[in-house]
Amino acid sequence: MKSFKLSRQNLYLLIITLFLLIFILLFAFAVLIPAGKDYRQARSVTNKHSIELSQYQQLSDETFQELKSLQEKHRNVITAFDNQFNQERFIAQNRRFFQNLQISKMSKLDEKLPFDLYEVNATSKIDSPVVFYNFLDSLNKGNWIIGVNFPIHFKRDGELINSSFTMRVYNISDGRNESNVTKETNATVTR
Amino acid sequence: MTYSYIKPRVKKVVSTELQLVLVFFSISAMMLFLTYGFLKLKIYTFEQSIIRIEEKKVDLNDAILKMQNQISVIEQESDKAEKITTENSVLKESIKNLFDLVPDRITLSQVDLRKDALIIYGTTPSKEVYEFLLQAPLRSIFNTTYTSFYQLENGWLSFVSTNKIDNKEVLK
Repeated sequence: MKSFKLSRQNLYLLIITLFLLIFILLFAFAVLIPAGKDYRQARSVTNKHSIELSQYQQLSDETFQELKSLQEKHRNVITAFDNQFNQERFIAQNRRFFQNLQISKMSKLDEKLPFDLYEVNATSKIDSPVVFYNFLDSLNKGNWIIGVNFPIHFKRDGELINSSFTMRVYNISDGRNESNVTKETNATVTR
Repeated sequence: MTYSYIKPRVKKVVSTELQLVLVFFSISAMMLFLTYGFLKLKIYTFEQSIIRIEEKKVDLNDAILKMQNQISVIEQESDKAEKITTENSVLKESIKNLFDLVPDRITLSQVDLRKDALIIYGTTPSKEVYEFLLQAPLRSIFNTTYTSFYQLENGWLSFVSTNKIDNKEVLK
């Protein structure tokens, strides 16, 4: 039987080969495979977050569109609430309905109320009460949100009718702050 | 004198076989390290991406909340404006109906329109005219109606009609 002889050089070669093989196997199983697992996990989590982000983006776009649509639809109301009441302008706009029109601001009993109270004294001709209806119509189409308040007094004075009543002028100052918020919001969305 | 048919070779410390093995394993190890580096880099990229996505989500969430708040404010303002407009229109119709209600034979001198009451001052040629032409329609609208009369020098009657209503919706 022929004996198997291994030269010294081949023995070194075999040892180094085995050592390197073991190193590669160890590296692969101990480091590379866990890293691959981490990679897959990180990719999965990123995808999940990306899907959530796209949902948020979609919701944000829808909300923005809804807001824009509402702002467009109720532009007059928003502007009217934001407009500061101007007595001279109010009188100039509504003087045509009356012979005489005077308004004066009343003090508010509660500062938290979202409106200012004004006392209105108007004189119109007795044969044209329709001007008072026109005046009420014009309030609804005016630059401010104004509600006529009870009580309303009509008193005949010869050929004239003196009418006096209070009116509530609504002015929501928070609305202006909210407008600023809208601008910030738009900036955030488009970022 | 030579004892071999081949030429003597120089003996190397690293033989050709060993070189081959070393090159092979070096390439394998390099590929493994590169793969490992690539995976680590991708993991880092994913982590950074997640952080950015989280920040964007927070920003978007804030923006959505602000917009929803703004929508709520606009809806409230719109509802309020509509309510005020309706109240003004109803008031106009109430006043119009009141003046339409008064017959030509009765003259009004003063009207106090309150939230739940109507007080009318005026003159009438007779009590019957008032009762038939004005009190009857007033009774159909108001829950309680009370009228007092005063005789005038010209023979007419001055009256004060106080009308009250329980349901406030009729007036406003």
